[in-house]
Amino acid sequence: MTRTPGSPSPVRRAGGTRARRRAAVWLTAAALLAGTAACTSGGSDGSEGGGSRGDRAPRTLRVLASSELADLKPVLEQAREATGVTVKATWTGTLDAVEQVASGKADGRYDAVWLASNDYLRLRPAAAGKIGSETPLMSSPVALGVKKEAVERLGWQPDEVTWSQIHRAAADGKLSYGMTDPLRSNSGFAALISTASALSDAQSALREEDVREAAPELEEFFAGQKLTSGSSGWLASAYERRGSVDALINYESVLLSMNRDRDTGLTVIRPKDGVVTADYPLTHLASASEDARDSAGTLARHLRSPEAQRAITEQTFRRPVVASVEPAAGLSQEKRHELPFPGSQSVADGLLAAYENELRRPSRTVYVLDTSGSMAGGRLEKLKKALTRLAGADTSPAGERFRDREEVTLMPFGTEVKRVRTHTVPEERPAGALGRIRGDADSLTAAGNTSIFSSLEEAYRHLDKRESALGDDRFTSIVLMTDGQNTTGTDAAGFESFYRGLPERRQEAPVFPILFGDSDHAELTSIAELTGGRLFDANEGSLAGAFEEIRGYQ
Amino acid sequence: MWVSASTLFSVRRILGIILAVVLLGGVAAAVVAGGETEKEGKDGEGTATTTVRGVIGSEKAEFFADPEVAKTLAAHGLIVKAEKSGSWAMNERPLRGYDFAFPGSTAPARELARKAGVKGELPRPFYSPLVVAAHRDAARVLADNGLAVLDGKNSGTLKMGAYLKAAESDRTWQELKGGDAHSQLTGTVFVTSTDPVASNSGALYLAAASYAADGGRVAADDADIDRTAGLMRKLIGVQGAQQTSSDAPFRDFVSGAGNPLVLVYEAQVASLLIQRQDVGDLVVLYPDTTVNSDHTLVPLTTEGRKLGRLLSGDEKLRELAVRHGFRPQGATAEFAAATEPHAGHLNQDLNGVRQAPVPTAEVLRKIAQRAKSQ
Repeated sequence: MTRTPGSPSPVRRAGGTRARRRAAVWLTAAALLAGTAACTSGGSDGSEGGGSRGDRAPRTLRVLASSELADLKPVLEQAREATGVTVKATWTGTLDAVEQVASGKADGRYDAVWLASNDYLRLRPAAAGKIGSETPLMSSPVALGVKKEAVERLGWQPDEVTWSQIHRAAADGKLSYGMTDPLRSNSGFAALISTASALSDAQSALREEDVREAAPELEEFFAGQKLTSGSSGWLASAYERRGSVDALINYESVLLSMNRDRDTGLTVIRPKDGVVTADYPLTHLASASEDARDSAGTLARHLRSPEAQRAITEQTFRRPVVASVEPAAGLSQEKRHELPFPGSQSVADGLLAAYENELRRPSRTVYVLDTSGSMAGGRLEKLKKALTRLAGADTSPAGERFRDREEVTLMPFGTEVKRVRTHTVPEERPAGALGRIRGDADSLTAAGNTSIFSSLEEAYRHLDKRESALGDDRFTSIVLMTDGQNTTGTDAAGFESFYRGLPERRQEAPVFPILFGDSDHAELTSIAELTGGRLFDANEGSLAGAFEEIRGYQ
Repeated sequence: MWVSASTLFSVRRILGIILAVVLLGGVAAAVVAGGETEKEGKDGEGTATTTVRGVIGSEKAEFFADPEVAKTLAAHGLIVKAEKSGSWAMNERPLRGYDFAFPGSTAPARELARKAGVKGELPRPFYSPLVVAAHRDAARVLADNGLAVLDGKNSGTLKMGAYLKAAESDRTWQELKGGDAHSQLTGTVFVTSTDPVASNSGALYLAAASYAADGGRVAADDADIDRTAGLMRKLIGVQGAQQTSSDAPFRDFVSGAGNPLVLVYEAQVASLLIQRQDVGDLVVLYPDTTVNSDHTLVPLTTEGRKLGRLLSGDEKLRELAVRHGFRPQGATAEFAAATEPHAGHLNQDLNGVRQAPVPTAEVLRKIAQRAKSQ
C-alpha cells in the first residue's frame, strides 16, 4: 500500500488504549524536600517557602515515557532526592506517544515526553510544533542478541557480523528471531530502518526507491521473524518461553540487562555495517506550565551530571553522553557506523506500510467472540463497533486495518461455536474482504450460554485445519473476548489437558484474552499464562482500544 | 515579572546563604543570593533581585546553568531563567512574558528585534566559530584524500572546496583512499548539521557552504539561491532526520553514536577542554570558510537590557564566558590565555579561516527551506 505524504500517521491508536496502559507513579507520597529546599524552610514558616513559584518545593513531572525506561527507577529516585522533582511516568510505545503529541491529546495530560528518539516525532509537523527543549541523556543502539549455540552453529565472529550475514542466515532458515512491531515500538522501527538501509546498499538516508529495491531481501529477512510483540517486555518473556528462537532484536541495553537479570547468555551483536541508536531526549511539551518546564530542566541537568550518568550506564547498560564518564563494562567501545533515520515522513511511513502489508510474515488470527445472551444490547454494539473499526477500510493507513495477506477468522460463540467465517485480505483490492469482515461483525447476534473453553479448543482445531490445508507459515494467535464466566462445555481443567496434548508447534499460538464486562479475571489470566499470551483490559479502557493494542502481538 | 522567593527571605532577614535552585527549561542555574547589605548600592536597585526569563540557543544552556554565572548575575540583582530553543524557531514562539531572546546569530536576532520593536544596537557579548568535530580515523582519511589538512594530532582545516566537490559527486568513505580500513566509515561522506530551518548552526552551515560553493559570493537574490540550491539540498538530504539543536548531535558524537563528522560550535569543544574533560579521539576541523556564530541578545524589557549590558561589560562574566568556550567580543587575550594548554585542539588565532558573510535572514531562510524540500 502506498500512502501520500499528507495522509495521517499509520500508527494512530484507539482512544481507549491509553487509558488502560499502566501508569506508574514513582513517589507521589509526602512532600519530600530536596536538600536545597531544606535551606529555605529553615527559619521561616515553611508554608511560604513552598511559595507560589514552587521553585524549591517538591514537584511532580508527568512524563509520557518509552516503556523500557522503567529500568531507570533507582536513578530517578536519586534524582528526586537531589532535585525534589518526582517523575510520574506513563509507559507507552514511542510511536503511540508521537501520535498523542501530534493529536494534542498529550497537552495538559503530560508535561514532558521521554522517548527512545525524537526522530520520528520531528518528521510529523503537527508533533514537532508541540515540543520544547530536548536534552539527550543516554544512548543505546538497536542490536541483535544471539544464543551462543546459534553463534557457534553459524560460525559467526560477533564483532564482524553484518546485517547482510544476518539476512543470509534468516533467508536460509538458519536464524530465527523475535522483534517488536515497528508500527508500535521504536526498537522494531529502528531494526526495520537498519535492515532496509543495509540491504538496499543505500549510502545515505533512505529514499523510497531504496525501500523498493531492498524489498525482496527484506521479505527473506523477515521470514526469520518468529516472534512479534507490541512491547519489549512481553517479547523477552515470549522468547524465554519459546526455547526454539535463536535471537532477539532489541536495544543493546535491554539485551545486556536480560543477560544480567535473566541469565539469557545472549551474544550481543552490533552489526558492523551500521546501527540505529536511540538517544533518549527528555523533552518538555510546549504546552507545559512554566513550573513543569523548570522541573524538566532541573531533572535533565541532574541526569547529565557525572554521578547520574555513571549510575545510568552501570545500572542500565546505556551509554553516557558526557565525555568524563566511561561506558559500563560490557559495552564495546568499538565505533559503529550510524545509519541515518529517514528525513521525510513519506519515506518513514512508506517503510512502515511496506513492512505491514508486504514484508513481514502474514498472520492468521482467530477471534473467539462471546455472543452469549449477556452480550445483548450495549455490549454487542460495542463489539460490533470495535470489530468494524479494527477491520478498517482499504483507505485506512497502515496499522489501522487488517493487513494485506492477513487471514482473519471470526468465531462467535454462545452455548457452542455459532459459525466460523474466514477471510483473507488480498494484496490487490483489499476493500472487498474488509467489507465482508465488517458485514460479518455487523450480523452478530447475542444468545445462549458461555462456552469459553470448548470454543478455544475449536479455535486451535481451526488453526490446525487451515495450516494443513494451506501448508503456509504465519504468525498465529487467538483473541478471546468474553463478558462472563464459562458456563457450559469443557471446563478449565479440561482445556488445560487439551492444550498440553497439542503438538508443540500448535502450542505456540498464544491466546490474548480481553477482560470485558463481567468476565473472570482469574479465569482469563490462567488462559493467558497457560498459552503464553497476555491479558488485556477493556474495562479500564475500551474494547476497541484493547483490540487495537493486541494488533502489535499478532 | 515576579519577585523571586529569595527576595522574600531577604526581606525576612534570613541570614546566610540561601541556595535557590532556579529551574530552567533544559537547564538549571543554582543561584547564591548574598546578604542584602552586599547587594545594596549596586546598580542602584537596592535589594530587589529580579528574575529574568529568556529563550536561548541550546549552546548557551551550560553557560547559564553554571552556578558561578548565576552567582555573578545574582550579585547584580538578576536571576536568569533560560529556556532552550532553536535560534531560528524563536520567532515562531510567543515571546510575551520573556525578558530577552538570545539566539546564536545576528540575523535571527535582528528579525526578532524588528518584530518586537526593539531599537538600537543589540549587544553581542561573545562569539564562536562553527567547526567540524571529527573522530580521528575520519579526520585522517579526509586528510589523506585532500579534503582536510591536519596541523597536529587533534586539529586541522577542512577544505571546503574539496569537501563540497566530494558532496556534489556523492563520494563515499569506502571510495576514499584508506577509507575501507575502518568499518565504521561507510556511506556518503557528509557533515551532520542541525535542521537549517529551525536551528542556527544548521542555517550557518548553509551560509558558509553556499558562499564557498558560489565562489565567495553572498547570496542576495533568487538567482544566487538557485545556483547552489542543488548542492545545498544534497548536503541536507543525505543526513536524513536532523536534530533541532546543536547540543544533541554533539552528545551523540560524544557517546560514540552518530556520524563521524558533526558540525558544532567551537565553544562546545573548547568548554570541555577548558573544564579538562576527556574528549577522546576528537579532532577539531576548522572549515577554511566558516561562519562565526555571533551570540546576539535581544532585550525585550529593561531587565533584559541590563542582562545584555552585564554580559558584554562585566569582567567576571566575560571570564566565565571563556570558561564555556566562547570568545568574548573585542579583546582576544582572555580566550587565548584560557585555551593555551589546549592549543593542540584549537586554532586560537583562527589562522587560515575565512569568515563568510551571512545572508539576510530572509535569504538564508529561503536557502534553508529549499535545501529541506527533498
